[in-house]
Amino acid sequence: MNDILDRALNTAQLEGASYAEARTVESRSQQLEVKNRQVSTLAEGESFGLGVRVIVDGAWGFAASAEVSAADAEACARQACRIARASAKFRRGPVVLALLKPALARYTTPFRIDPFEVPLADKIALLVEATGIMNREQAVRVAQGAMMFWEEKKHFASSEGARIEQRIVHSGAGLTAWAVGADDLQVRSYPNSFGGQYEANGYELVERLDLPGHAAETAATAAALLEAPVGPAGVTTIILDGSQVSLQLHESCGHPSELDRALGHEANYAGTSFLTTDQLGKLQYGSKVVNIVSDATSPRGLGTFGFDDEGVPAQKVDLVREGRFVGYLTSRETATMLGQSSNGTMRAESWGHIPLIRMTNVNLEPGTWKLDDLIADTDDGLLMITNRSWSIDDRRYNFQFGTEVGYEIKKGKRGRLLKNCTYTGITPEFWNQCDAVCDASDWEIWGTPNCGKGQPSQTMRTAQGAAAARFRNIQVGVGTHS
Amino acid sequence: MTPPPRTAAAVPDVAGPPLSRAEAEQLLAEAIGQSSAEDTEALLEARRESLTRFANNEIHQNVSSLDHTLTLRVRVGRRSGTVETNRLDSSGLRQAADRALAIARLSPEDPELPDPAPRAEYRTLEAFDPATAASTPEERAAAVGPVMAEAAARGLNAAGALSTLAGVTAFANSRGAFAFQPETYAHFTCTVRSDSSSGWVDRHRRDAASLGAAALGRVAIEKAERGKQPGAIEPGAFTVVLEPNAVAELVQFLAGLGLGAQADQEGRSFMAGRMNQPVTGARATIVDDPYDPRAFGRPFDSEGTPRRRVALIESGIARAVVHDRRTARKAGVESTGHASPPPGAEGPLPYSLVLSAGDQTLEQLIASTERGILITRFWYNRVVDAKKTLITGMTRDGTFMIENGRLTRGLRNLRFNESVLGMLEHAEGWGRDGEPTVFDYIGSCVVAPALQVRDFRFTGVSPF
Repeated sequence: MNDILDRALNTAQLEGASYAEARTVESRSQQLEVKNRQVSTLAEGESFGLGVRVIVDGAWGFAASAEVSAADAEACARQACRIARASAKFRRGPVVLALLKPALARYTTPFRIDPFEVPLADKIALLVEATGIMNREQAVRVAQGAMMFWEEKKHFASSEGARIEQRIVHSGAGLTAWAVGADDLQVRSYPNSFGGQYEANGYELVERLDLPGHAAETAATAAALLEAPVGPAGVTTIILDGSQVSLQLHESCGHPSELDRALGHEANYAGTSFLTTDQLGKLQYGSKVVNIVSDATSPRGLGTFGFDDEGVPAQKVDLVREGRFVGYLTSRETATMLGQSSNGTMRAESWGHIPLIRMTNVNLEPGTWKLDDLIADTDDGLLMITNRSWSIDDRRYNFQFGTEVGYEIKKGKRGRLLKNCTYTGITPEFWNQCDAVCDASDWEIWGTPNCGKGQPSQTMRTAQGAAAARFRNIQVGVGTHS
Repeated sequence: MTPPPRTAAAVPDVAGPPLSRAEAEQLLAEAIGQSSAEDTEALLEARRESLTRFANNEIHQNVSSLDHTLTLRVRVGRRSGTVETNRLDSSGLRQAADRALAIARLSPEDPELPDPAPRAEYRTLEAFDPATAASTPEERAAAVGPVMAEAAARGLNAAGALSTLAGVTAFANSRGAFAFQPETYAHFTCTVRSDSSSGWVDRHRRDAASLGAAALGRVAIEKAERGKQPGAIEPGAFTVVLEPNAVAELVQFLAGLGLGAQADQEGRSFMAGRMNQPVTGARATIVDDPYDPRAFGRPFDSEGTPRRRVALIESGIARAVVHDRRTARKAGVESTGHASPPPGAEGPLPYSLVLSAGDQTLEQLIASTERGILITRFWYNRVVDAKKTLITGMTRDGTFMIENGRLTRGLRNLRFNESVLGMLEHAEGWGRDGEPTVFDYIGSCVVAPALQVRDFRFTGVSPF
C-alpha cells in the first residue's frame, strides 16, 4: 500500500503540488433488519479506493478512483493537480495550512468481540426473539430490530512525511415498534431513535443492550402512546433525557461550532453559524452549568480515532466553558485563520470524498444531579425522552424538536404518559435557561449515524455524550396544537 | 472480462459514459456466471462525478471521483443473500458471489420472497449528454467565475457548486433480463449573501449547457439585494407564494409517508384505508412518471422490473401506491417497477413525482396576492406527525413580504408547521411551469410548479 501512496505523492509533487496527501480506505459493512420475526434485510458491502488531495498554486484539488494501482495513483494525482490549477485562477489568496508534526503511527479502536466474526445465525436469532416479544402487543403493527456493523481500514500518507494506518470498528443495534391506531401512528425505540445505539465498539455493545430484555416495554409504550393525551402547549420547565440532550448538542452546539461553517464555507448547503468569530471568548452561549468539549479520545464514541483525515492527532478541546463560547472545531486550513493549530476534526465519508470538519464526540460534561432528584426538584413541567423530530435553521438559532415520549411532572413526581410532545427555542437563550445537568451515573455517549454535510453530500458518524438536563421557561406544544 | 476504463480518474472529460453497454453486459454476465445459486441478480451503478465548489467568492473545494458498485443478490429456494462490492475484477466478483451464497444459506426461509423479474422489454431514455459527461474543471471554473465576480463587484458574497455526473445503471439476472441506461446530470446551486440577507437559486438539468450559471447567479444576487435589512413579522397564518423548489421540498415527503405500498401495507401510510377517497384538494394530481423528460427517471428498478407511470393522487383522490415485487406479491398485483436501491429496507418508493401545474406565472401569483409572503425555499424540514403529513421547517435565502401584489421588503426567516396535504388543499393559485428538484443527486426527483397557498401556518421566527 505504501508504494501506491508514495507513487501518488511523488507524482503530485512532480506536477507542482506544494502539499499532497493520499488516502486509501478499505471499508466493509453488515446490515441486518428483522421485521415481525422475518428477516427483511441481510446485506454486506465492501468498498475500496484511493483519494488524492493536493495544493497547487495555493488551491485545493482532489481526485479519487475505485481502481487502486500505481498507475491509478499517478492518474489521480495528476488529475487532482489539474483540478487545483483550475481552482487557483479563482482564489483570493493561497491556502495556508497550520503546522503539523508528521506522524508515523498505527491505531485501532478498542473492542473485545469482532462483530464480523459473530455468526449471522446468532444475530438473526436475537432479532427474531426480540421482535417476537414486541409482536405480542396487538397494536404494534411493525416490530423491527436492527444491527449495523462497519469497519474501515485507512492508510494515510502526506508529502510532509506522515504515514498512518488506522482500523475503526463501529457497531449499532436497536429496536423500533410502530403502533397504528385509527388515525394515529406512534413509535417507540430502544435505546434510541435512528435505529438504536451506535458506538466505536464490538459486538459487546449488542450484548450489553439486551434487546430481548427491553422488547416488551418498548412495544407496550408504543401501544400506550396511542391512548395517551397530546403533550400540552405553553411555557414550562422541561427535563430532556440524555439521548435528546445529545441530539440538541449535535444540532445547536456541534454544528455551529464548526469553523468552516462560521467562515462561510458551507453557506450554500449546510449553512453558516451564529457563532461568528467575533463571538469567540465573549458570547455567553449557556448558563454556568454548561460545559461542552470536543473529545476525539472518548471511549466508545463514534467520533473516536487516532488521527483525523489530515493526520492530526485526536484531541480533547473546550467548546463551551462555564457557559462561555471558547472554541471551534477546526482543520489545518481554517485554524490558521484564527492563528491556531488544528484540533483534528477533519473526516471524510469514504476514499472518494475530501475530509471536512466534522463533529468528533461533542460532550456535555456531567453535572451533579441524580435524575430522580431532579424530577423531585421540579414542581411543574415535562420529562421528554427520545428524539422523534428535529429541525433547526441554517445559522443554528431557531430549533423545534419532538420526542417519542413525554411525561407530566407534577409536584416533583413523574405523572401521565404524553404523546406528540414538542419544544422550540433559540439556541443561546435555550442553553442559558439550563439550570441543572445530571451526573455521570446518567451520562452516556450517544451515537449519531447519519450526520449530513458537504457537496457532494457526505454522511458521517458522530457522537455526543450527555446526561439528562433541565431547562426553564421553554415553549412547548408548538405545531401539534392547531 | 473488461473492467471499467481504468484511466477515467485521470481523464474525466471524456464524452462517453463510465462504461459502454457491451462492457456492462459482459461484466454482469461474468458476475452472474460466478454464482452457483439457483437465481442471481446483478445491479451495476457506475458514476464519474465532478464538483466545483465556491464560497466567499473563491473556489475552495474542487473534486472528481470515479466509482462503480455491483450488487449481487442470490436465491436458494426461499432464502436470499445480498452483497455489494466495488471490486470488479474476476477475483472480486467470485468473492462477492461466494459470500452472497453463504449469506443466503445462513438466512432463514422468507415465505414472502418474490420471484426474480422475467426477461422484459425496457424503454431507453434520452438521458445522456456527451458534452456534460466531458465537462472539464476549467469549464466549470469558467462558468462559476462570473457569478463570483459579479457578487464581489456588488459587495456581496457568493457560495455554491457546479456539478456534473456521467453515470450508468445496468441490471441483469440469471433468467435472461438485461437493462442498461446511461445518464448525465448537471446541477448549479448558488447562495449570495449580504450582511443582512441572502438569495438562492438552484437548477437541475441533464445537460450542463442549459444551466446558464451566470444568469442564474443574478437571480440569487437580486434576491440578496432586495432582502437587505429584513423585518420581523409575527407568526401566524398567511397566504404564501411558494417557488417550485419550496413546493417540491414538501411534496417529496409524501413519497415516504405513504405513496409506497410497504407503508400502506404496514398501516403507516396517510393513504391507508383511504384509497379512492379524497385526501387533498381537487386541483392536486400527483403521478410518478419516470418518462417525463424533466423528472430524471429511470426505465427500470433495482429488481429489473420496467418502471411504470403511476397516477397516485388524481384530482385530490387517492388512487394507487407504487410497488416492488415483494409488496406486489402480497397485494396480488404486478410490480410497478419501484423497488428501492439495495438493500431496499424502505420498500418501494416513487422516484419521479410530478405535481399538476396550472396556468399562472410566478409573477402573476405574486401580483394576485394582496398580503402574503414569497418563499424561495424551505430548509431542514422534518416530519412532526406522519399520519397528518405535518412537517416543520424553516424558510431560507429569500423570504419577502407581498403587499398589494408587490414584493415590499425582506423578512426574517420563519418556522412553519404545516401539513403537505393541507398545503395542496389550500392552494388557490397554480403555477404553469413545473421545475425539477433532485434530491440526493439522481435518487429521486419532484417536478412542481409554484403555488399560491392560503392559511399557511408559521409558528416562530429566527433572529435573522
